[in-house]
Amino acid sequence: MTGAAVLPRTRSSSRTRVRRRVLLFTGSGLVALFVLLTVSLTVGEMPMSAGTALRALVGLGDAGDVLVVQQFRAPRAVAAVVAGAGLGTAGCVLQRLFRNPLASPDVMGVTGGASLGAVALLAAGASQLLIPVGALGGGLLAALLLGAFAWRSGLAVTRLVLTGLAVQAGLAAAVNLMIVRFPAELAGSALQWTTGSVYGRTWTEVWGAGGAMVVVLTVALVLHRALAVLDLGDDSAGALGLRTSATRLQLLFLAVALASLAAALAGPVTFVALAVPHIVRFVTGPPTAASLALAGLTGAVLLLGSDLVVQHLLPVEGLPVGAVTATLGAPWLLVLMLRQSSPVRRRQP
Amino acid sequence: MTHQLRTEGLDLRYGDRLVVGGLDLTLPGGAVTAIVGPNACGKSTLLRGLSRLLAPAAGTVTLDGADIHRMSARTLARRMGLLPQQPVTPEAITVEALVRLGRYPHQRLLSPWSAADQRAVEEALERTGTTVLRDLPVDQLSGGQRQRAWIALALAQDTELLLLDEPTTFLDLRHQLDVLDLVAALHAEAGRTVVMVLHDLGQAARYADHMVVLKDGRLAAAGTPAEVLDADLVRSVFDVDCRVIPDPETGTPLVVPKASAARHAATTA
Repeated sequence: MTGAAVLPRTRSSSRTRVRRRVLLFTGSGLVALFVLLTVSLTVGEMPMSAGTALRALVGLGDAGDVLVVQQFRAPRAVAAVVAGAGLGTAGCVLQRLFRNPLASPDVMGVTGGASLGAVALLAAGASQLLIPVGALGGGLLAALLLGAFAWRSGLAVTRLVLTGLAVQAGLAAAVNLMIVRFPAELAGSALQWTTGSVYGRTWTEVWGAGGAMVVVLTVALVLHRALAVLDLGDDSAGALGLRTSATRLQLLFLAVALASLAAALAGPVTFVALAVPHIVRFVTGPPTAASLALAGLTGAVLLLGSDLVVQHLLPVEGLPVGAVTATLGAPWLLVLMLRQSSPVRRRQP
Repeated sequence: MTHQLRTEGLDLRYGDRLVVGGLDLTLPGGAVTAIVGPNACGKSTLLRGLSRLLAPAAGTVTLDGADIHRMSARTLARRMGLLPQQPVTPEAITVEALVRLGRYPHQRLLSPWSAADQRAVEEALERTGTTVLRDLPVDQLSGGQRQRAWIALALAQDTELLLLDEPTTFLDLRHQLDVLDLVAALHAEAGRTVVMVLHDLGQAARYADHMVVLKDGRLAAAGTPAEVLDADLVRSVFDVDCRVIPDPETGTPLVVPKASAARHAATTA
């Protein structure tokens, strides 16, 4: 109460400042997304102007341009956007659920499981349409594995990460094994399932996983209030009428579904889900309803941008986008882990 | 609706350990009830059992005759709020954002924030004197301010019944009295039924209409503070020799422990 005289001033300004930052960040994110999408349609072996590319997108102009834009560049760009949005949101949900800045589907093995699921179905000769189903099954399996190994310890930070990385490594090895074992079925998409790539995505793949992703993303946004109430701890959340265990499982399932569908489109892309929540938090401060949506937007921009870098800015040709994100992700994870285990941090409640 | 909580043959367990056993209890509606007892006597566990956070191993908890474990969590949350002993403050959350979460049981899945929600939040901030703190992060507040912010959350929930688990722990005397006066005002002005776990017997006697004394998970005594608190009870429940005298301010029972012989001898010698 003693600070009453000075408080009102800081109050209104701090609130509008946060709101302005969120708006600015959202605005620039949308602009960046639009620009990157346009760029991704124009550049490539057949460069064209933005106008030509956008006309070709709706089927106007030279037949060759239309084919390149509609059948090659557009599905690849949409796959990157959808997968990025799913990964960003999944990371955001998981980090809040576990109160752990290291939680993310790639660190926890979910993306590895999803890739394995997809690869297993393809190896068995299933149609591409079933990839999302296989990915979802594999992702859930990985989550169950992680739960079985790490749950008893009350999900301590280091244990969760170490177990997750072990699960992820084992699943990645299994993917490699499948690719060696079934060269005919899988060799064409080997890079996608080992490193993560959106190269050569077709509309068939994009519609299936993308449609499912939109549904899951919507449900996740609808449940943001439950996520905020869960932040209060089980007793307070329970007293507010939230069924905590059921809600936590629902949200966990949603996050796994988002990451698995992203993997169905892009393979085991790392870093995006881990980094996006930190970026959003850095810009907008503590999580609000808006930050979940912003995490999706940021993830989309990040993955699409990385894919453009891979395609056009690097001297090495044919690199998968997963190689870039993994290169960025490894040091990022290291820094986070060091910061987590530093004495200053540990002393805080 | 009198907001009366009753337990019949209530057993509460953590795993194999029986914490509260065979409890028959009536907590009068429209009153302030204090639950007291030595450490680890099951006070907090009882509060969790009363608020549906812990399912009974045997027996029932009823609110106005209805079994709370047969109600939906949301229905109960519209009638009963709980402030845990050490609530978890989400990182960097502001006071207002925290208090807004109290509206959760009143919101539908897709319903937008309503004028009624905003009114309840404003009133809760007002009543707890946290309006000026509304945009500050809760984790930067003093202990007393933080406790008032959490009470504001429970108030925004707008329930007729409020359970508080040791709301004065970790607060200095001034802030303890602030919180207890706030609780008294909620009862007197807003007609809330309050059930709180307290440590200080004198404070419990001053602020409660009804007192429940627990020992080893069993009921040791229940009634008005004047009926319940005497030297025999304090000795048998807390293992403390004392005199119980009328509080010079309020006339309610005041527990004055006997001076320790060693200490007393040292000072007079």
